[in-house]
This record gives sequence, structure tokens and C-alpha cells, in this order.
Amino acid sequence: MSSDTVTFTTAPACSIGALYIHTKPITPDVYGNTKARRARELRPRRNYLLNEDVEKQRRSLLQRNPEVESSVADVEASSDLLQNLREKMPEFMPRPDILSRDRILEKLERQDMYRRREVINIPEFFVGSIMAVTVADKSAPGKQRRFVGICIYREGQGLSANFILRNVIDGQGVEIRFELYNPTLLKIETLKLEKRLDDQLMYLRDAPQEYSTVPFDFEPVPLPKGAAVPLNPLKVKLNRRPWHERWERMNLKGVEDLGLPERFYKRAQELAKPWERFDLMKQYRSTIDDDEAQTVMKEVYAKTKNIQSLRRQQRTQKQKEK
Amino acid sequence: MTLRAVLFQAFNRNSGILKHQLESARVLYVHQQSRSKGSTQYKFGRPWHVKKVNQSINDENLTTENEEFIKEVIHETYTQHPSPLREEPWQRGEYLKFTRRCGVIGIKLGLVPQWTKTGEKITTTLVQILDNHVIRYTPPEEAAKTAGWHPLWRKFGSVVVGALSSDPRQFKKSYNSLFAEAGVPPKQKLTRFLVTPNAAIQPGTPLTAMHFRVGDYVDVQAKTIDYGFQGVIKRWGMKGMPASHGVTKSHRKMGSSGGGREKAGIWKGKKMPGHMGDRNRITKGIRIWRINTKYNVLYLHGPSVPGSIHTYVRIYDTILPHKRPNPDDHPPMPTWFEEDSEGQCPEEQWDEELFAFTEPSVEYQ
Amino acid sequence: MAGSVWRSWYVQKVLARQSFSTTQCLQELRKLARVRVVDNSALGRAAVAIGKPARIIHVYNKREVGYLGDKVLLAIKGQKKHAYIVGLKQKQKPNIPRFDSNNVVLVEENGTPVGTRLTAPIPSVLRNKEGDFTKILSLATRFV
Repeated sequence: MSSDTVTFTTAPACSIGALYIHTKPITPDVYGNTKARRARELRPRRNYLLNEDVEKQRRSLLQRNPEVESSVADVEASSDLLQNLREKMPEFMPRPDILSRDRILEKLERQDMYRRREVINIPEFFVGSIMAVTVADKSAPGKQRRFVGICIYREGQGLSANFILRNVIDGQGVEIRFELYNPTLLKIETLKLEKRLDDQLMYLRDAPQEYSTVPFDFEPVPLPKGAAVPLNPLKVKLNRRPWHERWERMNLKGVEDLGLPERFYKRAQELAKPWERFDLMKQYRSTIDDDEAQTVMKEVYAKTKNIQSLRRQQRTQKQKEK
Repeated sequence: MTLRAVLFQAFNRNSGILKHQLESARVLYVHQQSRSKGSTQYKFGRPWHVKKVNQSINDENLTTENEEFIKEVIHETYTQHPSPLREEPWQRGEYLKFTRRCGVIGIKLGLVPQWTKTGEKITTTLVQILDNHVIRYTPPEEAAKTAGWHPLWRKFGSVVVGALSSDPRQFKKSYNSLFAEAGVPPKQKLTRFLVTPNAAIQPGTPLTAMHFRVGDYVDVQAKTIDYGFQGVIKRWGMKGMPASHGVTKSHRKMGSSGGGREKAGIWKGKKMPGHMGDRNRITKGIRIWRINTKYNVLYLHGPSVPGSIHTYVRIYDTILPHKRPNPDDHPPMPTWFEEDSEGQCPEEQWDEELFAFTEPSVEYQ
Repeated sequence: MAGSVWRSWYVQKVLARQSFSTTQCLQELRKLARVRVVDNSALGRAAVAIGKPARIIHVYNKREVGYLGDKVLLAIKGQKKHAYIVGLKQKQKPNIPRFDSNNVVLVEENGTPVGTRLTAPIPSVLRNKEGDFTKILSLATRFV
């Protein structure tokens, strides 16, 4: 088929179709099935479009306003810096579930997150850090309420990122879940930035109250600039059973010897799945591809590196106006 | 003759009916049992009279240069050569009380949380409106002559809207010729909206997210999540039977299938296991909280949009009378045109009650 | 991994063999739930001393599952007493505190609290409540 034979007749759309004329007649088989029908039946039954097809459409030149994705190739950031950023702000990573991912949704969500970060400072924190949160409260005196506690849990991607603070007040253990991007959160401070041996500290519910008590007038502990996040190698001694969970089955590093009879550890070993760490497909399904993670974190780096200076500028502007 | 019988016949005739005709009918999905002989559920899936997919595209063995040349040609025809069938711009109609405007085809992107200015959290569904164009407009008199047209629709004209422009080579010539009038590339998805004549819209008009305004209410129609073959408990919400206490092999079954004597036999519409989902459903009165004009994304209230991620979604002004706009403060008629805004179109538009993340934190006085 | 923290593995494993399905441990306050009385009333303290903590015998709402601020009827030391729920062990929405024990405050029929002081902090969301609750709020020393 050479390009010399292309001619336009009345309407362009018709002429394109005219290049492809069926030469072979379509004969059905013994059962009355045509090739097309068989192909259709073999195709997976799906009433949604695949991600790749949607992306192809968004960038196709036949679109009225094809999407020109802003490139992050010119953003200079080392992979170490990006890895650091990924640990510091894990909520920017997309959800690993393939079927519920969409690039534009993630992009728009991240835009909202950058906007919020320009208004208030969302500091770096890890599970085990001591934090103070000031929330707007209609019924509180001064219309504000402050809660101090140790961060025992952190989860969520995007705007639904949240963390739990635990404290013991008047001998009563209290836990509050706060959403990072909730507009009623007026101030988030990390009073003591540190990490623990585990990525969640739910076992503090079954530990003596001393491990969870944080005084409300806790003074912030400054760290030298550029220093690594200190690791607190504290090992917690739990109370006697009954517990909220079977902690012996959870490979906790931040607890002292649990002191249980041998049968507990034996049963834990029976139920353990040590092969999971070699299950590559499982890891693949539950994590984001490194290249994609890099692209996302480059965008995050580009947008967030100037936030501190931006907020300082805004503050000085406001003061000048006053 | 019942409505369903009429439509069944019309479909049988295999005439010029578009596949999604019945989707625009305002039919309530009421599941009732009956003793009549006729079917209580109308099943879709009849072949369309215009064959769409071009099966022989893989038979071409083009060199890369020829392939690139053809792509350039296709791109040029739709961007540089306007259709010779193009007319002068039509006059714009006036928005009256019972006006029905054209709708739009979107793709459901997913859920995102937002907050109101009072600090309450709301779930919003994002829907992207990708490359919509009006393909055809038929006034009420002509539309009434097409097969399957219901007398209830006599006041309405029909607007065919298409979404997702694609390479014409993957479609058949007969399908591609549908787009000649509009002068747009052939679309992946076509649907039809019933429209009052004052909202007549010219073929070839692009439709964007600006067709709607922030704070308006819309009805959203889409195919629900396909659950496949499901049992009676998940499909119809039956209670099943106890797990123990002597129950023999009947924990998730239907149980009885009816009565006896005069009521003997299984009645039509009996709830049984079967295919669940992948049905058209409408959610009415959804509020638009926010519009992003750069990506043509609507933020709709709640997780109420039917279907899974990346399903096609039909969006149109709500029919609920108490949520319709006043003629004094009406949405753009027949649609929003770029020249109306004079180039001032903010990228993000928030509802008055929605918290915009650029604002300072919510504080109570 | 994080999701497993909320599930009791043992119960799931055993009942899975018998084809039962279980929900998570929801920590809801229903009938016969044991609660902790957080005021300084003699009755509350006596119940703890005996070793028979107060139990809910009725929840005054449609669903019969107690939530923060709901009125309940307790069986305490052989008598029936009304009380209000001021703290829950149940998983809560964001910004609402979750306590390590289910706390209640005893009240009379007419709504006056039995005790004179509260020993545990009260959730701040309860400050918006009106009626009998204002009397309880006046006793509170600490809000969370």
C-alpha cells in the first residue's frame, strides 16, 4: 500500500474508511460462529476501560486539547534525596492497587496537598515521635484545643493520610486519630523527632502507662540540622496477658522477652509465613514501581523545596499589611 | 401493548436505533414478580445496526514511514481541513423553566476526600470529561419518525454526543461516516440525550466540564460494577439460614420458591442467583462541588456514581424539580463556549461552601 | 500488615474451619457490656470493691448500641441506675478521642449526677450536648 494512492473525496472521514475494503468474505463455522464473535467471547468481559487505554486517549493528538504532561526530567535530585523524601512524606506515594489507580486523580490530589502545605507546616515525623496538635474546636475556650502524645500509628495515602497520638491523662489512656490535611488542624508540631524499632506501637495499649505518658508541657527537643533521625532502641516490657493482640505472632522488635510458655512461640512459628519475604509477585503488587516512585517524588521535591521560604514570605507580607 | 413490548419490537426491526436509546428513558427499576407470560426484565445486548470495529486492521503490513505518514494525514484532516458540511453557528436558545440541555460523557476516575468550610469531611467522586463533541442533532419532528421512539418523548429532540476521539482505521467505514457531519474524528463512545428544541446544539460543538457550574445538581448514569454470577444473598440481600443448629446443606440458599395451589409455580421475577451488576443505574441530584478546567474534571458529591474506576458515565442536568436552576440564574445555554469567558477561565472553581486548600485553616469564631 | 492489628487471629482460624464468618472485634457497648464508672460516687466505688463491675442492661437509642453521650441503664450492685456514656474503647472517627476503658457517669432519674467529681477526661465533642448533659459537664475537670 503506497502513499501515492491516497485521494480525498467528499468528506475526509469517508475516504479514510475507503482505504480498507474487505476482500475476504466472512464465513461462519459449523456452529454459526464468525471469527469476530469467537474473538469477542474470548475477550475478558469488562465494562471499564484499562488504565493504559485511558492514558493513550489523554495524550492522543486527535484530542481537542491533548494533555502535555509536565516533565520532571529537568528536576535535579539524587536518588538518596528522593528516598529520604519518600520516608519523610510517605502519603505522596500512590495507592498500590492497580485497578483503582488513575494518574490525573493522583495529580489533583497531590496539588491539594501542596496547597495545604503552603498554608501550614506539616513537619516530618515517624511512629515513636512525640507530637502536639492544635485543632479548631467550637466548644473549647479560645476555640482551640491542644493534644500532645506519642505517635503510635501512621497510615493513608493522599488527602486521607492520618496518624494516631496516644497519651495517658489522669491515669486514663487516650488515643486520637488526626488527619494530616484536615483544614481544622491549625498546627502540627513534632516536639521530639525519633524513630522506634517497630513501624507501629499498638502494643503500648498492653504496656504499663509510663511508656505512653507524655506531659502536656513537653518542651521541644531540637536536633542539629542535617542530622539523621535518631533511633530509640527502647524495648518495652508488656503487662501480663490478656492482651489486645497476639503480640508473640507479630515479630515485634521493640518489646522485651514476652515471657510466655513455649507452646505460644511454637504455634506462632506454625502460623508464620516466612516465604512471604521471597514472594516477588506479592511485593510487586503491593509496592509502586521504582521509576514511577522517582517521578512522583521528583515532582514532590520540586513543589515542596520552596515551601518554607514561601511561607516565610507570606508571613512577612501579612505583618507588613498589619 | 406495554412499553417494554413496543421497545422489544423496535429493536427486533434492527433499524436506525442507537444502542443506548433506552438509557435515556426515565424508567424506574422496580423489581416485581408477576404471573404474566411476558418478560419482566428487558435484556439488552442486541447487535447494533452499524458495525463498529474493523477486524482487518492487523492485515496491513505498513512500513514505519508509511505508518507515520498516515498518522500525519489523519491528524491534518481533523485539525486543518474543516468539514465542508459545516454550517454557520446556530442561534442560541433561551433557558426556560422546563428546558432540558444536552448532557456529557465522562470517565469515573475515583474518590477523593474534601472538606467544607465548617470542617466536615465529604467524599467526592472525580469524573473527567474527555474530548466530548456533539455529533448529531435531530429536531423532535424528525426524531419522532425513528423506530423505538416513545410518545412521551414527542417534545424532545435528540442530541448524539461522542467521547474519546480515536484513529479512524480501527473502525469500519459505515461507523466513520457517522462523524462526517460534525467534522470530528470518530469517537470510541456514543450516547444520546433528549433535549428540548430551545437547547438545540450544533454538531461539532465541543463540550467540556464548563458545561456545568459549581453548585449545580446533576443526574449520573453508568453501568454498575460487574460482580459476575452471584448467589441470592449478595444479589438480593436474602438472609440465608443459620450456620448450625441442625441446618442441612442450606446456609446460603434461596429457601422456598413460592406458594401452592392457586399460586403454584415459580412466578416471573423470582429472585434467584444470576448475573449481578453491569446494569445501567441512575443516581439523581448529585451536587457539583468543584470544577477543574485544565483537566476537565468534575468533583461530584459522595461515592454515589455507579460503576468502577474508568467506566463511562453519562452526566446531565438533574430532573428533580426542587434542584433545578431558576431561569434567572441558569447554566450556559446550549453549552459553554470559549468566547463567552473572554479568556478568563480560572483553573480551579470551588463551591462557596467548599474549603479551598489555598485558604487559611478553618477556625471557629 | 497494619490491618491485621484489628483482627483476632485465633478466632478467625478456628471458626474458618467451621465455615463461620466473623467481623472484627468492634468493642461495641451493648446489653451486658461491662463499664467503668468514672465519678466519685459511693455506688461506683462499691461495685469495683465487690468485684462486680456495672453492666449495661439497656441502651436508650434505636440501634441499642451505645455511643458517646447516649443514656444507658446499668445494673450496679444489685440496683438499676441510669448513666451517660462519656468514653468508648471503640474505634472512633478522626478528632474524637478513644479511651482505654468504656467510661460512664451515673445519674439519677431526673438527670442530676450522683457523684461530685469526675476522675477521667471527657471528650470535647460532648460539650455541645444540651439538657441533662450540662450538669455532667460542670463536674468535668479535664477535656480532651
